[in-house]
Amino acid sequence: MSAVMSRPAVMDVAVLGAGVMGSTAALFLARQGRRVALIDRKAIFREASGVNAGTLTLNMTRAALVPHALKGREMWLEARSWLGRDVGAVATPGLSLAFTEAECALLEERAAARREMGAPISVVGAARALEVEPGLNTTVRAAAYCPLDGFIPAYGVGRGYCLALCEAGVEIMENSAVDGIARAGGHYEIVSAGQVIARARSIVLAGGAWLERMMAWLGLRMRVKCLVNQLVVTERLPPVMGSVVSIANGLLSLKQFVNGTVVMGGGWQGRGHVDTGETSVIPANLVGNVRLASFTIPRLSEARIARIWLGFESETDDAMPAIGPIPGWENAFVIGCVHSGFTSGPYMGRLLAQAMDGQAVDLKAFDPARLLLSLPSAHKGFCS
Amino acid sequence: MTRRPDVVVAGGGVAGVMAAITARRHGLAVTLVDDNATPGGQVFREPSAFARTVTPPDHERREGDRLRELLRRSGVRVLSGWGIWSVQPGYRLDLSNDFAVQVLEAGSLVAATGAVERFFPFAGWTDPAVMGLAGASLLMRAGGVLPGRRTLVAGAGPLLFSVAHQVLDAGGEVVAIVDTATRTQWAARAATLALDPARLKTGVAWMARLARAGIPVLGGAVIRQARRGEDDLDVTIGSVRGGAPVRSVRCDAIACGYGLKPSLGLTRMLKARHVFDEAAGYWHPHADPFGRTDVAGLYVTGDGAGVRGAQMARLRGILTGHGLAFDHGRIDAATLAHLARPLLRAMRRLEVVSRAMTSLMNPRPAIMKEAEMHAPDTLMCRCERVSIAAGGQAIRDGAGDMNQFKAWTRCGMGPCQGRMCEDSARQLLARHTARAPTEVGAFTQRLPLRPVPVRALSGNFAYADIVLPQAAPP
Ligand SMILES: Cc1cc2nc3c(=O)[nH]c(=O)nc-3n(C[C@H](O)[C@H](O)[C@H](O)COP(=O)(O)OP(=O)(O)OC[C@H]3O[C@@H](n4cnc5c(N)ncnc54)[C@H](O)[C@@H]3O)c2cc1C
Ligand SMILES: Cc1cc2nc3c(=O)[nH]c(=O)nc-3n(C[C@H](O)[C@H](O)[C@H](O)COP(=O)(O)OP(=O)(O)OC[C@H]3O[C@@H](n4cnc5c(N)ncnc54)[C@H](O)[C@@H]3O)c2cc1C
Repeated sequence: MSAVMSRPAVMDVAVLGAGVMGSTAALFLARQGRRVALIDRKAIFREASGVNAGTLTLNMTRAALVPHALKGREMWLEARSWLGRDVGAVATPGLSLAFTEAECALLEERAAARREMGAPISVVGAARALEVEPGLNTTVRAAAYCPLDGFIPAYGVGRGYCLALCEAGVEIMENSAVDGIARAGGHYEIVSAGQVIARARSIVLAGGAWLERMMAWLGLRMRVKCLVNQLVVTERLPPVMGSVVSIANGLLSLKQFVNGTVVMGGGWQGRGHVDTGETSVIPANLVGNVRLASFTIPRLSEARIARIWLGFESETDDAMPAIGPIPGWENAFVIGCVHSGFTSGPYMGRLLAQAMDGQAVDLKAFDPARLLLSLPSAHKGFCS
Repeated sequence: MTRRPDVVVAGGGVAGVMAAITARRHGLAVTLVDDNATPGGQVFREPSAFARTVTPPDHERREGDRLRELLRRSGVRVLSGWGIWSVQPGYRLDLSNDFAVQVLEAGSLVAATGAVERFFPFAGWTDPAVMGLAGASLLMRAGGVLPGRRTLVAGAGPLLFSVAHQVLDAGGEVVAIVDTATRTQWAARAATLALDPARLKTGVAWMARLARAGIPVLGGAVIRQARRGEDDLDVTIGSVRGGAPVRSVRCDAIACGYGLKPSLGLTRMLKARHVFDEAAGYWHPHADPFGRTDVAGLYVTGDGAGVRGAQMARLRGILTGHGLAFDHGRIDAATLAHLARPLLRAMRRLEVVSRAMTSLMNPRPAIMKEAEMHAPDTLMCRCERVSIAAGGQAIRDGAGDMNQFKAWTRCGMGPCQGRMCEDSARQLLARHTARAPTEVGAFTQRLPLRPVPVRALSGNFAYADIVLPQAAPP
C-alpha cells in the first residue's frame, strides 16, 4: 500500500458537518486565508439547515437569544454583502396571537421578556392585528406585534453557500461519513470507513443533532436534547397572508412563501432517531398542527396539503449554543445545538471563525464546557 | 365499528381485486381500498353511462363488469373513492376523500397500486391539447370522449398502438404514430409474441388496421416541438439520433407517453428493498412470485411489482391471494404449491413477452439530450415551472444527487410529488455527471402520497378541541 503517497495533505482546518454552522465557519475561515476542508456524510445543507421552516422570527426565539437572532436575521437579509448572492430572505412583520384569556397573559409575559432583550415587540389589540394581517381569524383577542420578522426558503440556501465556498477555495467533501478522529503527530486525522480522508491542524465539530456523537469520538459526553420537528406545506395558494404568524404558547409558526405555498410549523413533534435517520409522523400531532393553522388563518381550510416532513433539531437546556474550544483537546472546536439556529447561524458561524482567528469576541455564554458530563457516554440517543 | 381485517389491499385494479377475492375465498377478512368511484383500475375501469352508449362493448368492458360482479359477491369489504395518503409500518393506512379522513389497520398489506405513465418533455408539451397516453385512454374508455379530431400518438411501447386503436374505435383520426423504438427493435421482440397468442392476435389486428387506414408509423422518432397555431398544433418530428427534422404534421391533440413504471409510493414509504430494472429503466420493489417483499407482511402485486400487463396482473393477484392464505395459516405448503403450479407455468410464458415489451417502453437517455439540445427552455417540472436549462445549471452549481437537485430547483416539490419529472431529473443528472441512473438516486418519498384537503384532515372543530402539547419554553 502506498500509504505515504496517497495520504491527504494537511489542511489548516477540517470542519465536520456542512449545515449552516459548519459552512459559515468554513467560509469565514477560508476568507482568513486558511486551507479548509468541509466534510459531510450527505450533501451540503441536507439536514436541519436545508429542511427547516426558515422563519427569522423574534416572537418564537427564546428571549435569551434575541440579540443574536437580530444579528443573524440582519445577515440573511443582506446575504449579498457577505455570501455574494441573495438567498431569497424576505422581511415581514410578525404577530404572535392570543385567542383566550390565558393566552393574553402568556403573550404579555413573553413579549416583555423579549422586549427586555432588545426585540421591538409591542402588544396590540385585535383591530391593529387585523390591520397588519387581514387574513386572521377575527376572534383574535390580542397580538404581540414585531416589525422585524421574515423568512427564507431554506431548501435553496445550500446552493448559494456551495458557490461561495468554492469561490473561497474551501474543499467540499460530500458523501463522506466520518466515523472517528485520531491525533497523529500534531494534527488530526479524519477517518471515514477505515480510511483517513483528511488531515488538519484544527478541527471544528459542527454535526448539528449528531454533535453528541461527534463529541463521543473525543471521549466527551455532551448534554443536548434532540427534537423531531414537523412541518406541513400546502400547495400554492393565492395570497392568504403577508406576515409571520405564531401563537402565544409558541406552538405555531405560519407564513406564506413568495411562490404561494404556506408552511405550518411550530415545533410539533414526530417520532424519529438520529442514529437511523428514520422519522414518522404522529397522526394526532399532524391534525393538531393543521387545526391550529387553519383556525388562525381560516382560508387555509380551503387548501390541500402537499407535503409533510420531519427534521432533527438539537438544543441545549439553556437554548444557548455550544461555541468554542473543546476542553482537553488542542485546536479542536465545536459549534451547534442552538435553538432556532437557522436564524442565528450565519452570525454564530462567523463568530467562531473570528474567535479562531484570535479576534476578541465574547463566547462566555456559549462555553461548551457547561454542557459536558463527566460520565462516559452510553451512546444512546435522546430521541425516542 | 367494523372488525379489523386480516388484510388490506391497496388498489382496485385487476391485481388487487383478484388478490382480495382469492384471500377472501380462503377465509381471510379483507378490505380493499381504491380511489376511483368503482373498482377496475386502469384497464377495466368502469365506463360512464355516456361512454357505454358511444363506444362498443369490448373485451375490457365485459371483463371489467365480470370482475366487479365477482367482487360484489365475494364478501370483500370495498372502500371506493378513498385515496391512501399515508402508510405506517404495522400497518396503519390513512385515507381521505374531499371531505373526510379515516384510518385502516391490518397486519398484512398488499400494494396493488398499479403503474403510472412515464413522461419526458418536448418543446410545447405544456399546451392543453397535449395529454398522456393514459389520460387519453381514460378519456375514451371511461368518458367516451375523443382527445381531439386529429390526434398524434407519440412516445414508446405497446400503449401507442392500444391508444391509436381506441381513437379509431371511437371514430377519431390518428395523424401518425411517433415511436422511439425502431422497426428493427420491434422486429427483434416480435418473435416472442408467439408465446402469447392472444396478444399476438391483437397486435396483428391493430397493425393491419393502421396499415389499412394508411396511418404512418414513424420509428426511431420523437416529437421535437409542438407549436400552437390558430386552431391546431404544428408538430416537428425528429430522429432519436438527432440531426435534421424528419417531418412535420398538424393535429389538434397529442397523446404522448413513454411507457409505464410501477407506482412506488407505498413500498418506498415502507422502505422495502427496490431494484433497478436496466432494460425497463425503472425501479421496482423486490418481491417473490407471491409478492412478498423484504418487509414482513408487505406484499406487492400486479404492475406495481414491475410492469407486465393486465394478464400477468390477474395471475399475480391470484398468486398473492394464495400466498396470503398460506402466510396466515389457512392452507399448507402442499396446497399452496398445488394451487400455484398452473399459475406459475402460465406466468413463465407471458413473462418472456412482457419483458420484451417493457424494454420497448424504455426511451433511454437520448431523449433528454434531444430536448436539452433543441429546446433548453422547455419545462421539465410543470408543477414548479423548472426548465431543463435551469436543471442543468443547478447540476453545474454542485447538485450531485436527486434530492439536492430537488432542493435547489424545486423540481419534484409540487403536488404531483415528482411523478411527472423524476425520470427527466434522473436522466439529466446521470448524463451531466456521467453516472448510471442508479447512482444518482431517487427523490425521497414524502407524505402525503397524494394531496390531502386541509378541511378533510382538520374536520369540524372548535379552538378548545385542539389538543395542544406542552407550550414551548419562554
Ligand atoms: C423541521 C425544522 C424546522 C426548523 N425551523 C427553524 C426556523 O424556522 N427558524 C430557525 O431559526 N431555526 C429552525 N430550525 C432549527 C435550525 O434548522 C437548526 O438549528 C440549524 O439548521 C442547525 O444547523 P447545524 O449546522 O448545526 O446543523 P445541521 O444543518 O443539521 O448540519 C449538521 C451536518 O452534520 C452532518 N453530519 C452529521 N454526522 C456526520 C458525520 N458523522 N460525518 C459527517 N457529517 C456529519 C449532517 O449530515 C449535517 O449536514 C428548524 C429545525 C428543523 C429540523
Ligand atoms: C392507458 C393504459 C392502457 C393500458 N392498456 C393495457 C392493455 O391494453 N393491455 C394490458 O395488458 N395492459 C394495459 N395497460 C397496463 C395496465 O395498467 C396493467 O397491466 C393493469 O391495469 C395492471 O393492473 P393492476 O391491478 O396492477 O393496476 P391498475 O389497474 O393500475 O390498478 C391500480 C389501482 O390502484 C389505485 N390506486 C393507486 N394508488 C392509490 C392510492 N394511493 N390510494 C387509493 N388507490 C390507489 C388506482 O387508482 C387504480 O385503480 C394499460 C395501462 C394504461 C395506463
